[in-house]
Amino acid sequence: MKYIGKKLAAMIITLLCISFLVYLAFDLIPGDAALAALGTDATPESLAALREQLGLNRPFLERYLEWLAHFVGGDFGTSYKYHLPVADMIVSKLPITVIMAVISFFIMVVISLPIGIYTAKHSGKRIDRIVMALNQIVMSVPHFFMGILITYFFGLVLRWFTPGGFVSYETDFWKFLAYIIFPCFAIALPKIAMSVKLLRSSCIEESKKDYVRTAYSKGNNTNKVLYRHVLRNAMIPVITLWGMTLADMLVGSIVIEQVFNIPGIGRILLTSISYRDYPVVEAIITLIAFVVIVTNFVVDVVYQLIDPRINV
Amino acid sequence: MKRKKIYSSNVIIGLVITGAMLLMILIGFIHTPYDITKMDSAAKLAAPSLKHLMGCDNFGRDIFSRVLKGMGNTFVIAAATVTIGTVCGVVIGAFTGYFGGLLDEVLMRVNDVVFAFPSILLALVFVSIFGTGKYNVIGALGIAFIPSFARIVRGEFIKYREMDYVKSARLSGVGQLRIIFVHILPNAMPVLMSSIMIGFNNAVLAEAGMSYLGIGVQPPNASLGSMLSESQTYLFSAPWYALFPGLMIILMVLGLSLLADRGGK
Repeated sequence: MKYIGKKLAAMIITLLCISFLVYLAFDLIPGDAALAALGTDATPESLAALREQLGLNRPFLERYLEWLAHFVGGDFGTSYKYHLPVADMIVSKLPITVIMAVISFFIMVVISLPIGIYTAKHSGKRIDRIVMALNQIVMSVPHFFMGILITYFFGLVLRWFTPGGFVSYETDFWKFLAYIIFPCFAIALPKIAMSVKLLRSSCIEESKKDYVRTAYSKGNNTNKVLYRHVLRNAMIPVITLWGMTLADMLVGSIVIEQVFNIPGIGRILLTSISYRDYPVVEAIITLIAFVVIVTNFVVDVVYQLIDPRINV
Repeated sequence: MKRKKIYSSNVIIGLVITGAMLLMILIGFIHTPYDITKMDSAAKLAAPSLKHLMGCDNFGRDIFSRVLKGMGNTFVIAAATVTIGTVCGVVIGAFTGYFGGLLDEVLMRVNDVVFAFPSILLALVFVSIFGTGKYNVIGALGIAFIPSFARIVRGEFIKYREMDYVKSARLSGVGQLRIIFVHILPNAMPVLMSSIMIGFNNAVLAEAGMSYLGIGVQPPNASLGSMLSESQTYLFSAPWYALFPGLMIILMVLGLSLLADRGGK
């Protein structure tokens, strides 16, 4: 409990620091909301009046705290370009990104576990060497190029899906899943390669330890030793890696969305950057950073539940 | 015995690939077969041939020449990024690890904050404030890379600072700076080297991702990421347009990661 409290405090401090830095960064950009609303040919008087009305003349810290209070309350500001609340613009898009990350994560766990264990069991044999060589290559493929390769083979050659034919989960959930599974594989494959490699070496390392010999001497067979003793300890570094990957996958989907033409959070973020629509950029970046940090916190807590020895 | 043999063959393959890539980058700096911006309307989306080794893009520009230049750009950006990350990371890590105390506490918290912030998001913040371009990407990635180096170097310094050879150096009146950089740092080198190689790979992948999103190297200058993004429209009629830039990224990363593995073991 003390551990969770400590982590929680650290998380809140990190969240505050990041929101502060992001707000500060966007505050330093020349031009403000008043200029954006009235255009460059507004008179200085009308600009000053609007600034007064919007409260832009107040001290920085005061504005930051107000912005933060609104942000936590779910009010992310108003878009310069569309004059819509940012929250309305992203509320229907966020699930796409989150669902993609969650599916990718499950694909990674389900595929890398058996392969990792199998290669560890047969380490040094030909099959292990072939799998590991392939693994090394997959690890070097950037996920967006993996996406392009998947589009080519499964979309254009095999025609298992129509590239660009994204269906929103609000229209038809199953069609949405049938499309989304391909980008998810693009995100998951390089991560699968990483966790297979780590799981394999961790299993091999662990099976050299004394307690494994003891377990064998008590008459256990290979499988029993592997699943009851070795795997439990060998999983610890792998779970650390998975924890870091979950955050990676959330951010990685910004790029993958572009490869597969998915109108998610990434699309809004990139178009807002090119239109200099700062409130939207600011809100999305803070939001993603928050999601990443909260994810890391949850991983830390789960990690401690799995291995109570970790108590820092 | 057998195991040793496997990894030395990995190292040889890694050396060959990395060497070939460096050679291509070097050639790209000196000479390219065609001007990378020269358009030839007769050769639009031409298939690979002896005249155009990797075919031509949608403007009839030679893909091979553009790949050579693009690799050079990626290399320069990745090298600059890793240099910023390593130099700042080593200094921060060395001082915090060696001296400890309040400075260590504060800098490590700052480190955690930067570390928690995904590097691609940091780059997007940079780009939306300072605009797109090569130098902004270097700046953003460089900052994003500092924490991981600092953390590794700090760990090494904590390990060595209480060792006997350091104590005796201190007793014989060697200055603190000299102990840090002359006595301890060389011992941290093996760990640092392999993290430099891994960092370089991450920088290559991050740069490619950013120019794929259109926020890195700007056209008409060539970059592997932006070529991949352009190629997607022509994926069906000219798959080689996507294949070659992608393949070069894979080879650059693969070669170095085979070499880095050796350092890690």
